[in-house]
Amino acid sequence: MAPDAPRAAPVKARTSRIKDSTSYKVFTVVNMTVLVLMCAVMLYPFVMLLAQSFSSAGAINAGKVSIFPVDFNIDTYKAVADNGAFWRSYGNTVVYTVIGTTIAMVLTTTYAFVLSKKHLRGRGLLIGIAVFTMFFNGGIVPNYVLISSLGMKNTMWAVILPPALSVFNLLVMKAFFENLPTELEEAAHIDGLTWFGIFFRIVLPLSKAVIATMVLFYSVQYWNDWFAAFLYLDKTDLFPVTLFLRNLIAGASTAASEGAAASGASVSDINANIQSVTMILILIPILCVYPFVQRYFVSGIMLGSVKG
Amino acid sequence: MTTSHPFHLSQTRRSFVGLSAAAFGTLALASCGSDSGEEVDVESQNVGAMDDYAADAQFTATEPFEVSMLWTDWPEVPVEDSWRIFELIKELTNVEITLTHIPFSDATEKRSLLISAGDAPTLIPLVYTGEDAPFVSSGAVVPLSDYADKMPNFQKYIEEWELSEMINNLKQADGKYYMVPGLQEVSVPAFSLVIRKDIFEEVAGAVPNTWEEVHEGLKLIKEKYPDSVPLADGFEAQSMLNYAAHGFGTKAGWGFGDGAVEGADGKLVYAATTDEYKQLVDYFRGLVEDGLLDKESLTASNDGSGAAGVDEKFAKELCFAASGSSGTAIEFATALDATVGEGNYSITLIPPPGGPAGDMVEPRNFWHGFMLSSEITKSENFLATLQFVDWLYFNPEARDMLRWGEKDVTYTKADDGTIELDDGYSLDDYAMNAGAETDIKIDLGFSTFPAEATESRALKESYSTPEFVQYIDDVLSTRTPRDPFPPTPMDETELEQASLLATPIKDAVDTATLQFIMGERDMGEWDAFVGELEAAGVDRYLELLNTAKDRFVEANG
Repeated sequence: MAPDAPRAAPVKARTSRIKDSTSYKVFTVVNMTVLVLMCAVMLYPFVMLLAQSFSSAGAINAGKVSIFPVDFNIDTYKAVADNGAFWRSYGNTVVYTVIGTTIAMVLTTTYAFVLSKKHLRGRGLLIGIAVFTMFFNGGIVPNYVLISSLGMKNTMWAVILPPALSVFNLLVMKAFFENLPTELEEAAHIDGLTWFGIFFRIVLPLSKAVIATMVLFYSVQYWNDWFAAFLYLDKTDLFPVTLFLRNLIAGASTAASEGAAASGASVSDINANIQSVTMILILIPILCVYPFVQRYFVSGIMLGSVKG
Repeated sequence: MTTSHPFHLSQTRRSFVGLSAAAFGTLALASCGSDSGEEVDVESQNVGAMDDYAADAQFTATEPFEVSMLWTDWPEVPVEDSWRIFELIKELTNVEITLTHIPFSDATEKRSLLISAGDAPTLIPLVYTGEDAPFVSSGAVVPLSDYADKMPNFQKYIEEWELSEMINNLKQADGKYYMVPGLQEVSVPAFSLVIRKDIFEEVAGAVPNTWEEVHEGLKLIKEKYPDSVPLADGFEAQSMLNYAAHGFGTKAGWGFGDGAVEGADGKLVYAATTDEYKQLVDYFRGLVEDGLLDKESLTASNDGSGAAGVDEKFAKELCFAASGSSGTAIEFATALDATVGEGNYSITLIPPPGGPAGDMVEPRNFWHGFMLSSEITKSENFLATLQFVDWLYFNPEARDMLRWGEKDVTYTKADDGTIELDDGYSLDDYAMNAGAETDIKIDLGFSTFPAEATESRALKESYSTPEFVQYIDDVLSTRTPRDPFPPTPMDETELEQASLLATPIKDAVDTATLQFIMGERDMGEWDAFVGELEAAGVDRYLELLNTAKDRFVEANG
């Protein structure tokens, strides 16, 4: 073992490089400062939320909690963990996200693959149909009536199917497929692969970056969605956790119904720490997924969009 | 109460995405009408109905049927289909209630969507007065005034509690009303002034009865406690302006509403342009100038609790009077226990002080009631459904049941009418039998929102704190409810024009009112302010209101 050896190398490399100009140094310092500040601004809400989730309600209401928990306790986590409705809706969200993302990926990859074939007859029309929906939609009530008459109301399909094909994602993916070398497909054809074979055995394995990106997009979309559930679901048992949270936050700010207040009720507020705990628990899965997908993330979206 | 509540809610609702707000606004207009031209003959659509149904009688359907009902799901009281209340209602009436859940966070939007899409359940509860207006033209809800004679309990208590004139004011532009409100035998302002009674008695000699006395009292307190700013309002001044306005003969704050007040010649004038309003603003401006009214509390954003740090100031004896409900008084008391110590202070909610216009308080109010979806007019159970909702909302025994549960099981009622909760049951909301195994609200579903709709005075007092019972008594014996200003029901086009005009005018009023009170704008600029309102179209707006009012008066006498 020669511990000094690897350390010496970069020093050597640096000395042989041209010296950084003063303006470049200034730029770097300013750049770093701005980035660190930006980072702090982005991180602060999360840190505060985390601190709140471990603090007592009294301390939060008194505005004492910023970065570090005050009156550290995990009682709220215990209380939320005991809440059946929370876990039920959490489970719903997981189901909606997994099934929804799967369906969305099947639809998006197959549609995009078809659209990427320039020799396809009617391709313009197929693209037109998709793009049309980016600019026009039926509006809330017609959509609601449509979903109801399709019998999807109060089923998970009402939440899963309508957003299952994002045209933006479709176009990104189409552009990505168009950039794959056609020679590969031709060779596969000559070797006797069908279109399905080409798609599953050649195209998809080469598209991991864009697929990972799309999986992330779709899963975040399904994870965060509350509006579709709000519109189409009337049973609390089916609500996703986002709707549960939304209700919780609204409840905290207006729980003091004047009717109750008028008669001397001790208003049963939903405490700020319960909100924080719920938000943290909802954030965790997404936070865990991001670092793993991030390396695909930039390349995935860039590969699709820049044609070379 | 009804006047202030919608504003209170709408404050928090502003966060709702603009897109959907706009969409929902127009939904109602675009909705599918259900006037299919079929004749409605309520007498023959009588399956399950009782022939001899009358006021105060138990309703029991002759054949079982279902009534679908919208249920707002409060996060702290998640509804359970297994709640005893639904079972009990079925046992008593032979009617099964099926629920459509809507989350509390966006309840009104979802309700609009369901009604507009023709998909609303039969019974639509939690409707405040005036909230039926957007649905009138679509025919999506039943004109209940046409069927009032099928609701004997409703009729009886309107009569008995002298509410018939107020019912007239519910009428929409077509002369019908589409929502039936919850009836209150007595109604008192929920929000008023919470004061440190001991300090006022010690320093100022007595509990103040008028705004002049409040001013004098605060001055004396300020002399004794120079560090204090003795008066506060944790609701962005909206609460205090609301209950003070009646004594000054105008309306303001939460109760500003459409801004119309009756002028000397019987025509409607815009409240903010009147001398009374100016006088009101000037009074509070005087308090700020003398350092008696806490400016910080007026600008702190209202998070719904109205605390805005006021409770802390109470605890530190930096503040001795503030807006609030009896719930606020309890919060202040809790805060004071920690500093001054229990027994060393006394805190109380006093009736709104009188002003130049007399000892006036807000007009008597209805509470939330219900609408019925038009689909029910096609049902063979139409008559039975009318009888059922009449029983549920207005029958005295049903009212007791909604509030207290099952007679002789969860509660007992003595001969003199005193109600007592059984030992095995608690009602945590009102700190009753704390620690008992079963909570009649959380576990059984009683004492939720339907319970507050219709209340006799005795029922209201049965769960109120002694202090609040005293407050009710004080208000009723020493204050006069102001006569309501005449209603101005508009048709669709007028409604649209009016709301376009009203919003910017109201925003200008809110901003300027606070500026004048806080001393940021000179009183000499008052005429300029009135000029601004005129430039924003207040005259055109008043014209719309007056046309609607004249039409209403002509049609209804």
